Amino acid sequence: MNTMIIDGLSYALPLLIIACGGIFSERSGVTNLALEGFLGFGAFTGSLFVALTSSWFSNGSTVPMYLAFLFAMLGGGFYALLFALLCIKFRANQVIAGVVINILSVALTGFLTSQINSSVFGEASNKFQLGVSPRWTVPGLSQIPVLGAVFTKFYPFEILIVILVIFINYLLYKTRFGMHLRAAGDNPQAVDTAGISVAKVRFTAVVIAGMLAGLGGMCYAYSISTNFSPSIYFGAGYLAIAAMIFGNWKLMPTLAACLIFGLARSGAYQLVGYLKLSSNYTNLALAIPYVLTLLLLIFFSKTNRAPRALGEIYDKSKR
Amino acid sequence: MSKQKGCRPGWFLRLLGYKKTQFLTIPLFSILCSLLAIAILILLIGKNPLTAFQSLLQGSGWLPKPNYAAGKSILTDLLEMLDAYTPMLFASLAVALAFKAGLFNIGVSGQMLLAGFVTTVLVGYQDFPAGLAKPLVVLLGFICGSLVGALIGFLKYRFNVNEVVSSIMLNYIIQYVVGFFIQTRYVDVVSRQSRTINAPARLTLVDVAWGGVKLRLPLLFIPAILMAVLLYFYLKSTVGGYELKAVGLNRQAARYAGIKVGKRLVSSMTLSGGLAGLAGVTYYLGYYASIKPNELASLGFDSIAVSLLGNSHPLGIIFSSLLITSLDKGSTYMNSTVGVRQEVSSLVTGMILLFSACSAYIRYKVDDSLRLSLAGSEGTAAPIQRKTPASGSGKRGKNA
Repeated sequence: MNTMIIDGLSYALPLLIIACGGIFSERSGVTNLALEGFLGFGAFTGSLFVALTSSWFSNGSTVPMYLAFLFAMLGGGFYALLFALLCIKFRANQVIAGVVINILSVALTGFLTSQINSSVFGEASNKFQLGVSPRWTVPGLSQIPVLGAVFTKFYPFEILIVILVIFINYLLYKTRFGMHLRAAGDNPQAVDTAGISVAKVRFTAVVIAGMLAGLGGMCYAYSISTNFSPSIYFGAGYLAIAAMIFGNWKLMPTLAACLIFGLARSGAYQLVGYLKLSSNYTNLALAIPYVLTLLLLIFFSKTNRAPRALGEIYDKSKR
Repeated sequence: MSKQKGCRPGWFLRLLGYKKTQFLTIPLFSILCSLLAIAILILLIGKNPLTAFQSLLQGSGWLPKPNYAAGKSILTDLLEMLDAYTPMLFASLAVALAFKAGLFNIGVSGQMLLAGFVTTVLVGYQDFPAGLAKPLVVLLGFICGSLVGALIGFLKYRFNVNEVVSSIMLNYIIQYVVGFFIQTRYVDVVSRQSRTINAPARLTLVDVAWGGVKLRLPLLFIPAILMAVLLYFYLKSTVGGYELKAVGLNRQAARYAGIKVGKRLVSSMTLSGGLAGLAGVTYYLGYYASIKPNELASLGFDSIAVSLLGNSHPLGIIFSSLLITSLDKGSTYMNSTVGVRQEVSSLVTGMILLFSACSAYIRYKVDDSLRLSLAGSEGTAAPIQRKTPASGSGKRGKNA
């Protein structure tokens, strides 16, 4: 039970922050299928930083890890600029641009990782090794039955994500910027009439999406594999999109969706172990979260409503 | 790019601006731009881009290699490339068809995998004669794919489930469930893949000896091309195709026009899934003869891009798939001969897609600067000339 919650959270929270990126972008009216590419590129820049500077820090230092998160956000945001440029400036179809950005990200990071490994480090490898992230336990609180698992052996990034999500909630729903952003997704003409540049709002939203997704990607690089390799593209971006749509483009329901994914996933692993089934059954168990989501979607999708101007290129002269 | 456009309303601009050939010149311009960008990259690594591109073409059978191993020739390479091309074409057509109906079929890989798996088990492992097995594989593959497609379409129509999400979910479900069955029942202990299917069921004839070389013959290559042509006419000159496009362009308007939107959504997704199923059987029971468990074919996702490069036009896709498959197949040879990493070819693909995503913008810019320069040459030639060079990659206001 405890393991299920611990693993579930460490899977769900990065997913949530990626989905938050999706919310930013889509609430501002930009369909974002590029999250997968953002998270990969973000994780790439973060890992590159760690790989390049590993000799600067003493062994076991956690400083590179925190800096890696920072650089992952920068990298993700930088890469998102390209997407924003395509969608907003060059008026490309947003679905198309998203897919293109993903494909380019896989190609680019794959190429750069191998190239840098061979030319800088002289190794033939498509991976960047990262250190091991420490895991914290809060004494006292972790002794509470069941709930205590939340405070046991969590990754430092989980705290970061929780703080960020609270801040995002504030930013989206309590500030002028948040209101402009949401309005840009529902009624961009109104935003324009109010004297605010729709393009600027959307640009900012997409770049924030890139930063958040980059952070999420870096978290997965630390929690799942402790290295950066092409396997970072395991579909978390798409899953985050699913969670976001499932959460009706709102923060709290999206959180719920991410938790369902995470807990169902770790629960499935536990179940296989508990029933002493062969490891082959893990596959079957891993399908459970997705079946569950599909069923839930059937019941909850009726009331789903995407932002009204989602996917539309803003045209001033249109009514 | 800006250099070429910077010259006076020159031949280049006029060529790009010529409306009737723009469907061809603009994509070609995008491809040229990306090749240029990649050439610079290869130069930076310190390799010769020309030999790199040459070896790409050699590897995919367009140009002869300097020497061949016994039993191989340029035809071997070409046919192998076409063997990989067939599923790519089917998959891209699947994406394009859904796209025309305003749907986004991101679940092509899942539909491919299910079709491949079901036909492998039901036909591939049985001892049917070739005359029975091959048509059965094609038929079953189509049915399997279309069932998944129909489910996605039905969920969209009946329960308002976003098709992107349901396809992604189905991708994972299919991937894991098929992986489970392969690993528990049909696994080959040595290769860790599913057992190889029996030869009669395979849609590619391998090791066909012809003129002293061994070739592989993709049986569905010509049907795939025919399918593209058929789809072209379906979309262009049938009621069904018209309604499908109308639904894709504006669902509300289509409903007012008396088109049964739900029916069209489901049927186009069914057909799209069916095409994806055909891609699955030509991939898993043609190009390969076994299935790797727990992995979705990346082809399913690449096909989205290929379809977009072809402007979701069935005839355009014939060529865009050819281009992307050639780049992909030639990359191994490029790696071994020139020493340029294999990943470069996917980078080329990515760049081509990047530029073609901007094609609408390029077209707009070309038309714009052409208009300006024409106005300039008719009236006061000198002063307006200054304006044209500014048209590089966008220095104007967002809605210029």
